Amino acid sequence: MQTYSTTETIDAVIIGTGAGGAPLLARLAKAGLRVVALEAGTHWNPARDFATDEKAQEKLFWNDERLSAGNDPLPFGSNNSGTGVGGSTLHYTAYTPRAQPDDFRIRTDFGVGQDWPIGFDQIEPYYEEVEQFLGVSGPSSYPWGPARKRAYALGPLPVNGAGQLMERGCKELGIKTSPAANAALSAPYYQEGVGHRPACTNRGYCQAGCNIGAKASMDVTYIPLAIQYGAEIRSECFVTQLPKNASGKLSEVVYIRNGQEERQRCRYVFLCAGTIETARLLLLNDLANSSGQVGRNVMAHPGLQIWGEFDEDIRPYKGIPGALISEDTHRPKQADFAGGYLLQSIGVMPVTYMTQMARGRGLWGNALKQAALAYNHVAGINILGDCLPHAHNYMELSQEKDNRGIPKPRVYFSNGDNEKRMTAHADKLMRDIWAAAGARNVWAFQRNAHVIGTCRMGNSPEIAVVNADGQSFDIPNLYISDNSTFPSALSVNPALTIMALALRTADRFLKHEGLKAQSSVSQ
Amino acid sequence: MLPYYPTNTVRALLDTDQVTDATRQALTERLQLPPHQPTFFSVSEFALLQAVCNRLVPQDNPSGWIDMASNIDKRLSEHKYDGWRYDTMPPDEDAYRLGLMGIEESAQLIFQQEFRNISAEQQDFILKAVQLMEAPGDTWKKLPADRFFEELLTEATENYYSHPLAQEEIGYVGMADVPAWHRIGLNQLEDREPKRIG
Repeated sequence: MQTYSTTETIDAVIIGTGAGGAPLLARLAKAGLRVVALEAGTHWNPARDFATDEKAQEKLFWNDERLSAGNDPLPFGSNNSGTGVGGSTLHYTAYTPRAQPDDFRIRTDFGVGQDWPIGFDQIEPYYEEVEQFLGVSGPSSYPWGPARKRAYALGPLPVNGAGQLMERGCKELGIKTSPAANAALSAPYYQEGVGHRPACTNRGYCQAGCNIGAKASMDVTYIPLAIQYGAEIRSECFVTQLPKNASGKLSEVVYIRNGQEERQRCRYVFLCAGTIETARLLLLNDLANSSGQVGRNVMAHPGLQIWGEFDEDIRPYKGIPGALISEDTHRPKQADFAGGYLLQSIGVMPVTYMTQMARGRGLWGNALKQAALAYNHVAGINILGDCLPHAHNYMELSQEKDNRGIPKPRVYFSNGDNEKRMTAHADKLMRDIWAAAGARNVWAFQRNAHVIGTCRMGNSPEIAVVNADGQSFDIPNLYISDNSTFPSALSVNPALTIMALALRTADRFLKHEGLKAQSSVSQ
Repeated sequence: MLPYYPTNTVRALLDTDQVTDATRQALTERLQLPPHQPTFFSVSEFALLQAVCNRLVPQDNPSGWIDMASNIDKRLSEHKYDGWRYDTMPPDEDAYRLGLMGIEESAQLIFQQEFRNISAEQQDFILKAVQLMEAPGDTWKKLPADRFFEELLTEATENYYSHPLAQEEIGYVGMADVPAWHRIGLNQLEDREPKRIG
């Protein structure tokens, strides 16, 4: 791996190596820029470090404490926050549906929420590029959204028991389903910068690290590509300051490494630390917030899960967890809410299921033990729905300090009327599906998935933090590339869109700033 | 008799080449945890925590006993967290001390005895009252009882079902992670997957 000196003014520092940082890092390195990525977590070795054990994999979650407030306090850590080279993609389930064109126009269509300053047509080429690069496995023809210009790289992964049951229940009710698109290989695949990645073994461990590299997390895809092109990855580096120079631009990045403060001089900063840490760093340093929007517009997808027990032996720990999808509910007819949602089947690991049962059902004692014995006969469905931004949902710095002496983030979240109505609609539908499939002991686990917003994108510096290219309105050499920039939550899992936007941000940057950046290369 | 799974399934797998070294190491460590003396809790707090955990997740496994309380003590001693806490709750260290104090206080107020000295049914009565925010005592004015109960139950459950012995109870063998899984559909089992008995 290339290394750069901290006394050298490099072209760009990328903060964070997840879905927002890694593709961008690779793109800039490929263009010949001198780039360093700073990652708060460890650079893991999958074969050595990723045991097939839920407790041993807790190290992949961002376990620094966030304070969770509101009527529906969001759990952090295992649900939505990652650490380590690869970021949250280390433990994403690799569910990678595209957003649909109308997801970007929710205000136009419903009069609520915020439209995106760019449309589907500008993101679609990047969706395709990411899908082909990662080796997304999906159906030969996807039943929802505009016709795809190019088929998925690989055929779909096999459907596990949960997926088969959802398919059965949906068929009974006339709901269309399809194998889902998943960024995990259904066949061996050549990965530029890596070599051949092996096919998925149906180990089911996607909500944790994949130990063979079949799942397309960033550490086995864009990160090795970036390194091949000359990027440096500095792991276990926690960024604390972004000092400005006299002209109001960022001049360096200050971070803690091995307990010592280091400073990397640079000409551009790309902040890709995720919804919470990106906003936290900006608030800490009082940056990029003339709009007052940093930390605001927190959104979290309605993610209600309906679990049931079946006579069939399911073994929910096997197969890709999100094997099946339906987007028939993308914009349901006669709905009393804005936006829509998708349905996905879910397998689940035992500790995850038992702890959800403890929280969601309040079962303990012999009742918990009894319900646990049914684990091998359990399957779930969950929704992934759009969430509106509400004034009462935001992130702020609390008075309480973490072990570095930095204020802990506090996040306020309460589902609004729209999310509640959507959830009620989905609850009924999923229970009907499960009843049709033969479920008993059906129960609901209320939850919100992912955290989105805090540094939203827009056309106006009065209501947005960054423009459509991810560039800060206030600080011209600061870019943001992660789900903090989403103006609306979208009605699909965000990872694919985050990656696509990252590549677009890199391309827009290179187009506008590239000549200036590249001139330094020839010096 | 209730359906159950055969014993020794996970332990047997750990001795085979069907488990990666990383996985074997994680699970073997958990099976072989040495006896733990409390380093965060006082001796009496720790004994109370053990008694509470044993009601939240009762054990009757002849193969061995899973020490949930020790894992909680260790975690608090090492200042490890799971990434979030309810804003209405104090930091974990304070929450646990207050929560245990509250349980003891409620037992004294209702049964005039220490929690550990009352019957299992009476202990469950206290715990249910805590869960439902109906437990008496001034401590519960400083700590939301329902949230404390939720957190304690979740952590005890997590520690219990992370253990290979508990995983045997529920017939889980996902840790056999060297071979691929081919039979993943309904009613399809691999040879290494145990069948339910009864």
